[in-house]
Amino acid sequence: MRTIIHKLTPSLFQSEVAIDLQDTPLPARTSGREGSKGGMGIAATGRFLMLPGQIVSLLVLVVPLIVALYMSFTDWSPTRGSLFDAQFVGFENYSELLIWDTRFLYAVIRTILISTVCLSLEFMLGLGLAVLFLREFRGKSILFSAFLSPMMILPVVVGYTFWMLFQSNGPINQTIAFLFGSEATIEWFRSAPFALLAVVVTEVWHWTPLFFLILLSGLNAVPENPIRAAVILGANPRQVFWRVILPMLKPVIIVAFIIRSMEIIKLFDEVFMLTRGGPGSSTETISLYIYKLAFNDFQLAYGAAAAFIVLVGSLLLVHLMLRPMRKQLLEVHR
Amino acid sequence: MTVPKLKLVKLKKMFDNGMVAAVDGIDLSIDAGETIALLGPSGCGKSTTLNMIVGLDEPTSGDIQIDGQSILQVPAGKRDVGLVFQDYAVFTSMTVRQNLAFGLQVRGISKTKIATAVEEIAELLDMTERLHVRAKDLGGSELQRVAIGRTLVTKPAILLLDEPLSNLEAAARLAMRRELRRLQKEIGLTIIYVTHDQVEALSLADRIAVMRAGKILQVEKTSVICDSPDHVFVAGFLGSPPMNLIRGRLECREEGVVMKSDTFALRLTKTPPVDHRLSENLFTMGIRAESLTIAPAETAPLIGTVLSSEPKGAEVVLTLKVDSTRLKMTVPSTAHLSEGETTGIGVDLDSLIFFDGDTNRRIDVTL
Repeated sequence: MRTIIHKLTPSLFQSEVAIDLQDTPLPARTSGREGSKGGMGIAATGRFLMLPGQIVSLLVLVVPLIVALYMSFTDWSPTRGSLFDAQFVGFENYSELLIWDTRFLYAVIRTILISTVCLSLEFMLGLGLAVLFLREFRGKSILFSAFLSPMMILPVVVGYTFWMLFQSNGPINQTIAFLFGSEATIEWFRSAPFALLAVVVTEVWHWTPLFFLILLSGLNAVPENPIRAAVILGANPRQVFWRVILPMLKPVIIVAFIIRSMEIIKLFDEVFMLTRGGPGSSTETISLYIYKLAFNDFQLAYGAAAAFIVLVGSLLLVHLMLRPMRKQLLEVHR
Repeated sequence: MTVPKLKLVKLKKMFDNGMVAAVDGIDLSIDAGETIALLGPSGCGKSTTLNMIVGLDEPTSGDIQIDGQSILQVPAGKRDVGLVFQDYAVFTSMTVRQNLAFGLQVRGISKTKIATAVEEIAELLDMTERLHVRAKDLGGSELQRVAIGRTLVTKPAILLLDEPLSNLEAAARLAMRRELRRLQKEIGLTIIYVTHDQVEALSLADRIAVMRAGKILQVEKTSVICDSPDHVFVAGFLGSPPMNLIRGRLECREEGVVMKSDTFALRLTKTPPVDHRLSENLFTMGIRAESLTIAPAETAPLIGTVLSSEPKGAEVVLTLKVDSTRLKMTVPSTAHLSEGETTGIGVDLDSLIFFDGDTNRRIDVTL
């Protein structure tokens, strides 16, 4: 056995691959099969080398996805034995969720609402900060690192920290009392609007840096001459910004929104740490509701169906957001 | 005396905290309706000069005047000066129409007036059919036209063009050169044209200002600058091929004057020199390629071997080796001289010009 491997290995990985890489002229590389002389071509070698990775991703992604999809069509619960003994119920879970389950509907609406508010604020703050950072000033590099640091903290830690900050006798209430001189303290987690506000503040604090980072690098890449041309043509700074810089930044802005919306649809950790969805279910996001379905109520099949609805929804959303710039992104630069 | 349209007075721009002078005290007057070319190698301060005129860069010292008034305090965009960038800098997110209208919109001009002005300029540039096209779908010469039109629509008194043709392929460049000349005649603009290409400068400008290392070496009418260079650099830069330049001393003897470098000697006169002190100084002698002729080897003052020949239409530019000095020579293409052949070279001694060996400025030498 050892000798066979010994014989195989050099021939497979050294001689043939090496010859292919070195001797095949560059243009011929695209047609890997023809490039080979009896052995594996570049394309075939590439596929072979990717195989382990593909097998792993097949096992950890595709298989569970299929199992979950099957599960969503059953009434399975872990307390009732094996998944394969569970009864197949067709689209019952889905129709229940989409037609009767108002808690699910509200969770969806709430998630969309939180996302819209958070992303708008994050975008505006991030853009403002990025514009400020285009200029040179003292301490710029230190401030730059400081502004980016929230992004690097674990969501759970951020959630816990803000949970403490928002306590009824915590620093935030004390600051408010100091500023406005009132004794009344806000019970942040006892009223729905304030609890939502706390979630939004936490989320905005945590993720504005991402917008800041992406928009700053976008702004730095904006070519200078169109801006100078606009100035010479008589545009004031406001006109230059809105009419020249922002349109050139559009692809970057869309990418930032796509990344963040895919993230925020899954909003879980901070809400879990801050409110656990309460009071009542007034701050419950989709992820939190699905988590509760699965791990509090053990309705795994029902939860899987909810997750699939969200998956389809977010795919549609990303598709819609990509539409205005699909051509631009996929176009090969001339 | 009329006031010049644009006047640069001892204009200076230092970079790197005063370590480098990009523009080193230039003086230049341009009359209304005139086209002047700033010609020089890259990095000689041409573009910096334009940026200062238009207001993007602030001069370190000196003054810029339009119609006799200093404009240093006037912000960019209000100076009545337009600039067309080398890379066009067209707003790619807008259509051609939006690009052309931009300069008027930001001035708050009424929509109907803008529409008329845009139609007019599109007509002038032959872009009427392309108004609705997105600028990012345009080709090189179209982008160029949009860039020029976008500037012209604001009716600037002075138009600055920064290497406007260098990004175009040869055919488009020729067409655009014709178009620029037509526009210049139709509108009667004052134009400053920056280029490193002498052919462009010679074919478009009324006068040429040759720049090197932040200084203007010579400003002269286009028709005469090639034949009367004022500076060694101008002589070596202009003309195709440029003048042959030989640095050496004049040997003054009773039997005549000889121009002598380490590797080259040419008898200039057969009579005693007028002034023997000439031999004390270093000179650079300029011989035009056209002043050299093929002559019988027995009587010719120089003998050279052909190193290479470069056909140019009805003429051929020969590179010859005389001792170890290389000379360029223009001969009719009917003269058949192939590489490696040896020939006598005749010199038109009256057309020689001399430059001072120290200042590199042209001087008159009486032999």
